[in-house]
Amino acid sequence: MVSQRAGQKRKVVEVPRPDPEEEEDVLENGDIDDAFEEEGESEDDISEEDDDEDDFDGIASQDEGEELDSDEIPSSDEEAAKPVNGKSGKRATTPPHQLMGSETAVEVATLSPETPVRRLEYGLEKPEINVSYRIAEDANGNPRYIYNEIEPNYDSDDSAPETTNTIGNIPLSYYDEFPHIGYDINGRRIARPAKGEALDSLLDSIDIPEGWTGLTDPSTGKPLQLSSEELEVLKKLTRNEAPGDGYDPYPDMVEYFTGKGMEMTMPLSAAPEPKRRFVPSMHEHKRVMKMVKAIKEGRIKPFRERTEEDREREEQQQEYASYDIWSNEVPRPDHVMNIPAPKLPPPGYEESYHPPPEYLPDKREREEWEKQDEEDRDTAFLPEDHSALRKVPGYAKFVMEKFERCLDLYLAPRVRRSKLNIDPESLLPKLPDPNELRPFPSFCAAIYRGHEGRVRSVAIDPEGRYAASGGDDGTVRVWELLTGRQLWRIRLASDEAVNVVSWRPGHDACILAACCGETVYFILPQGELSNPELESQSREVLDAGFGHAASNPSKTADGKDKTPSAAWSRPPTSQQDRGILLTLTLRSTAKTLVWHRRGDYFSTVCPGTSTHTSTAIAIHTLSKHQTQHPFKKLKGLAQSVSFHPTKPHFFVATRQRIRIYDLQQQKLEKELQPGARWISSLSLHPLGSNLLVSSYDKRLLWHDLDLGSTPYKTLRYHSKAIRAVKFHPTLPLFADSSDDGTVQVFHGKVVGDGLENATVVPLKVLKGHKVRGELGVLDVEWHPREAWCVSAGADGTIRLWM
Amino acid sequence: MGRIKKKGTSGATNNYLTRSQAVRKLQLPLGDFRRLCIFKGVYPRDPSSRSKKRISKSATPSTTFYYAKDIQYLLHEPLLAQLREKKALEKKIAKALGRGDLTDASRWEREHMPRMRLDHIVKERYPTFVDALRDLDDALSMLYLFASIPSTPDVPPSLIARCHRLTLEWEHYLIRSNTLRKSFLSIKGIYYQATIQGQDILWLVPYKFVMGAGRTGDAGGDLVDWRIMRTFVEFYTTLLGFVNFRLFTAAGVVYPPKFDVEAGEKGAELGAVKLEGRDASEQERIESREDVEGNERAQAEADRLLSLPADEPSDEQSDAPNGDLTTTEDAPTQTLDEFQSVDPQADTLLQPSPTADASVASHLFEPFTFFLSRETPRHPIEFLLKAFGCKRVGWDTTLGSDPGSYCSEDDARITHQIVDRPDLPLPSPPATDDDEEAGAWEARKKLLERVPGRIYVQPQWVWDCVNAGVLQRPDLYAPGATLPPHLSPWVKVKRGEYDPTVPLAEQNGAEVIEDDDEEIEEGSEGEEVDGVRGDEEARELEEELVDDEEEEADDGGMDIELAGSDDDEENEAPTKQAPDDWAGFSGDEEDADVDDSARQTQLELEAEALGRNADEIAAASKSSTSTEAKRAARSRAEREKQEEVERRKGMMSRKKRKIFEKMEFSNARRDEKAEGLRAKKRRIEKAASSGAK
Repeated sequence: MVSQRAGQKRKVVEVPRPDPEEEEDVLENGDIDDAFEEEGESEDDISEEDDDEDDFDGIASQDEGEELDSDEIPSSDEEAAKPVNGKSGKRATTPPHQLMGSETAVEVATLSPETPVRRLEYGLEKPEINVSYRIAEDANGNPRYIYNEIEPNYDSDDSAPETTNTIGNIPLSYYDEFPHIGYDINGRRIARPAKGEALDSLLDSIDIPEGWTGLTDPSTGKPLQLSSEELEVLKKLTRNEAPGDGYDPYPDMVEYFTGKGMEMTMPLSAAPEPKRRFVPSMHEHKRVMKMVKAIKEGRIKPFRERTEEDREREEQQQEYASYDIWSNEVPRPDHVMNIPAPKLPPPGYEESYHPPPEYLPDKREREEWEKQDEEDRDTAFLPEDHSALRKVPGYAKFVMEKFERCLDLYLAPRVRRSKLNIDPESLLPKLPDPNELRPFPSFCAAIYRGHEGRVRSVAIDPEGRYAASGGDDGTVRVWELLTGRQLWRIRLASDEAVNVVSWRPGHDACILAACCGETVYFILPQGELSNPELESQSREVLDAGFGHAASNPSKTADGKDKTPSAAWSRPPTSQQDRGILLTLTLRSTAKTLVWHRRGDYFSTVCPGTSTHTSTAIAIHTLSKHQTQHPFKKLKGLAQSVSFHPTKPHFFVATRQRIRIYDLQQQKLEKELQPGARWISSLSLHPLGSNLLVSSYDKRLLWHDLDLGSTPYKTLRYHSKAIRAVKFHPTLPLFADSSDDGTVQVFHGKVVGDGLENATVVPLKVLKGHKVRGELGVLDVEWHPREAWCVSAGADGTIRLWM
Repeated sequence: MGRIKKKGTSGATNNYLTRSQAVRKLQLPLGDFRRLCIFKGVYPRDPSSRSKKRISKSATPSTTFYYAKDIQYLLHEPLLAQLREKKALEKKIAKALGRGDLTDASRWEREHMPRMRLDHIVKERYPTFVDALRDLDDALSMLYLFASIPSTPDVPPSLIARCHRLTLEWEHYLIRSNTLRKSFLSIKGIYYQATIQGQDILWLVPYKFVMGAGRTGDAGGDLVDWRIMRTFVEFYTTLLGFVNFRLFTAAGVVYPPKFDVEAGEKGAELGAVKLEGRDASEQERIESREDVEGNERAQAEADRLLSLPADEPSDEQSDAPNGDLTTTEDAPTQTLDEFQSVDPQADTLLQPSPTADASVASHLFEPFTFFLSRETPRHPIEFLLKAFGCKRVGWDTTLGSDPGSYCSEDDARITHQIVDRPDLPLPSPPATDDDEEAGAWEARKKLLERVPGRIYVQPQWVWDCVNAGVLQRPDLYAPGATLPPHLSPWVKVKRGEYDPTVPLAEQNGAEVIEDDDEEIEEGSEGEEVDGVRGDEEARELEEELVDDEEEEADDGGMDIELAGSDDDEENEAPTKQAPDDWAGFSGDEEDADVDDSARQTQLELEAEALGRNADEIAAASKSSTSTEAKRAARSRAEREKQEEVERRKGMMSRKKRKIFEKMEFSNARRDEKAEGLRAKKRRIEKAASSGAK
């Protein structure tokens, strides 16, 4: 703010002075200064701000100002004579009309030296000019001084309190009979103040003027008025708050540092006044000159008030486009983060003023819409019908809707969303055509009834004509497959259930093996299905072993007779007549019986916990009546076994693991980890490369033996434990049965070359079996050639599905 | 080992700023920040929910995030400096006003208040003209709204006047260039669509009523923040100004056109703006457009049309669009043939609609002279007629003497009069000779009388003609007639959706049959429609017959016992399965089924013994249960389909399955909606037919 200070300094010079005399007067008169002090200060702010704007004026006039320097000297003397108070000095520079905002200011401004009386009004003591009296002759011829009326204004020098008592120290009652009280300086009577009538006094009491006390001043007879300060004093007096006698409110100043005998012999600093205090600043001068140059060159435009024309031109520019902004357009490359505002969708039929009648809401819809919260409605309006255009009212929510659109435009976050506008069907995986998947069983073709209690096992003979079943009632029954007619039955035991029935594979004989309790029975079914030729062949097959066993008794390594773990024997003749030709007694109950493909070997599993693990699994040779226990010690409890269709491999399922053994080399080939808790059954694909494992924990696991030890697919479509699973011997089908009473049929196509993964397609849920005592379908078996299957249910029925 | 990186210093965290962070960065008050965002088109973003938490460092979740680069870009905006300057000046003025220094305050306001120019922002936001056209929808809707509201302290009259002027200029351009394509009367207002340089611009114009909601004193009046709306309008006026400039100059017309303020105040609307050509030829063109008296050919055409007998509107309608000689020559070469796909399954190729054609637009109403009755909304109809080629539009000038009306009501040249009043019968002349009464009668007669040879239509006719691209039959739109439904021209019916323009029967074959079934159910509640019922039964019988014949053919030569039982099983399987699916039936069910099949064979055998046609008996025995069987069969088919889908769904991954289910859900909702509409339509039709009987 250097420049501003410079401006202030300069102002001393350029203040217009109407009359040097008067200026002096003003300066000398401290009283006036005091009187103006308060007003002047408030004005200062404005004048300062004016300075800001008038900067340039000040600077511009400075050049001329410098020439005037010599003239200034007397005034600067005057300045030195003044008190060095900066504030008062500054005030002195402001012209009087700026100091006063009142009428007097105007009067002062128009003052001229020819009006001495007016000067008197100013109250300045100048006896040689200001004559306040005129001389007249009195009756005696003596001169008499008649004084002018003194205007009692606030700035008169008569600051001493005016004595209003004109009667002297006498009681007022002396004047009671006169209409006046005392005399003024000219000897005129001073009229007695009008005594208020009753009405007047009432009025006075009604609107009480300020300071009204209701008392009369005993010395003047006027109503006594007290100012608030006086009242305060009175109040203090009554409260006894007045200071004591010795209190002096205006004590003399004790001069500690100045005054007599205290004068400083030295100033505070002895340094001489520096030169820069007296020389104009070169730095400021440089800056000023720079600005001057800029103004001359037109770089700085001095402020110019806008004319009407300018304003009009600007308005025009604001109002009308006057040029083409797209005259040279350069398209901006699209950017991911630039998301244009989405357009509003075009109106639909329901927005029409006269829509088709089906778009109009009926009463129920209308009520529902009105009941809904405004935010939940899917349309903001209800369709309305107006029979003519003139009947269409204004849309009440128009402004609101537009406002909301505005809010959306600048407040709503924008996100790019790719909207899938495709047929949902195309998302579904491509599956083989259902026609390609045929045939598969889809309905129940026959129901075989007869078993009492659960049917535990079911088997279809290699020819595909009969089905054999065994159940809780201890009977084995043979049914005609298609009709469900019972052809033959035999009761093996009355107290034990038939756990497994299984036909010996091969077309040369017709032998049915059934496990009931600890015994395995080999049966030639009699009745309708017996055929003399087939029967003799079957007898040969079963009897061949007797000779072999007799000629080669089994020996242990040290030559002793081995204690046979299983006993092969001929049943009594009564049973032989009924078709049981051979029995094999094991040490415990066999739950699984699996034939080798050729029909010479079979394996039994006794999963009971009571049996020793080494004897749980046995492989029997029918032609030699021989029983072997291949595993000395088995990890885990055996559940099920299976022969590989082509290789000499043997699959053993314990509760959680499946191990594949090579029987020839007598070693472990592979171990699978299906991840099931309790395996119930397993089935090997006819090609031998894929294995299905069912478990009681509701899972069906598809193992691709080429892939690894974990399942290729885990299927979980059952709500209850899965009891059995079977591959179809020839078709790409498999089925599983579960305790939820359903049989599920899948398409499972395995390609031989191993290049392609197996395709598994769910085909059909066969429902029909009832759930009895938490058990549903216990076994399922495929027809050797057709896409038919039979299932054994806990409800005592067997169903044929085709 | 490098320095451990501080959390939240790179990556998505730096890409976004919360609103308060942005405001702090720009050092602006929130209001100014809003203004700036509106002007610059900066909008919040939605960062992924994962990074949201990382961006806002505070515990409370922030809701608004801005793209950091957007804010960076705002930092360099010249408006920012102006806003700050303005803020400082406003403080100064407020101070002066506090002191009661009015002169200073007003001087500062007048001289020093920065005027914001938004030109550079328009250019920045829309680098090319096409970009600007693309974003014109909201701008036009907003300006039309502001052009039609009364002024308030929030909305100064100068702003309203500017909006009004800009919209009129825009309309003049559309009239001149024939680029208006479609229009639609909705309950909200009138929609218009124009196509300029390939960009479809759709905007909404409110009806001429005092806008209610949102004003102070109204319900919800304080919900509308007029400052925000004004900020938008400020930008939009600038934008439309430049767009108009470009369009006008490209069309060879001087911009700004002369705007007659006085006429505008009198309600002259379109007539208040006078175009001026940039050179002589343009000027001539404009004048030729306006001076239509000399258009003899069109007048002759109009006369010819008038001379046609009035009771042959269909004939006239077919002639009318091709009436103009030039159009008859050009039309065959220019218009596209309509391709109808034969196979509904095949792909349909999109074709431009007939209205998207400038030649149609410029000649649709060309040969006619219109008169708008006093009760019709003059401005929209005048605009629409003129935009579609009509040059001679007259209206009632008794209320305001605004210029531009082509003729008065009793002019003989008028071909069409647009009327929107009920069709009242002419009153009989008064019996007395009272002059006053006679005068009143005369006036009434004049109102109600029809000038012979003139076509009287309701306003909707204009809109329907425009949307169809051809003239519609005027007799459907006669005064007092029940108007055909007014349909939105923008709805493109997708497959499976309801299309009100197509009769119900043609909509969807399979679904219609299904619907008929429903109808029977409905009918049983109330009245029954005989014809439908009969049809249904007949059809079912027929199907039954066909089935049986097939059975017979199969049976021939096969083992009777086996094959018969087989077939029966097949036939009965569905009915058997149905209860199985629902579960909870007793085990006797199977027995019943077996009985059923046995009975069937029994019947056939008996019939053969009697020598009668087995089918007849079978049909007769079945007729009572035929509908249920039919329904069961249909439900079986449906269920099978459902099963199939479920099967395939089982093979999908969980994510895909979810998407699939979502889509299925939305499709189902759409279908449900369409189905509801169809059902309603059917009900309405039925009510109408029964009413007719």
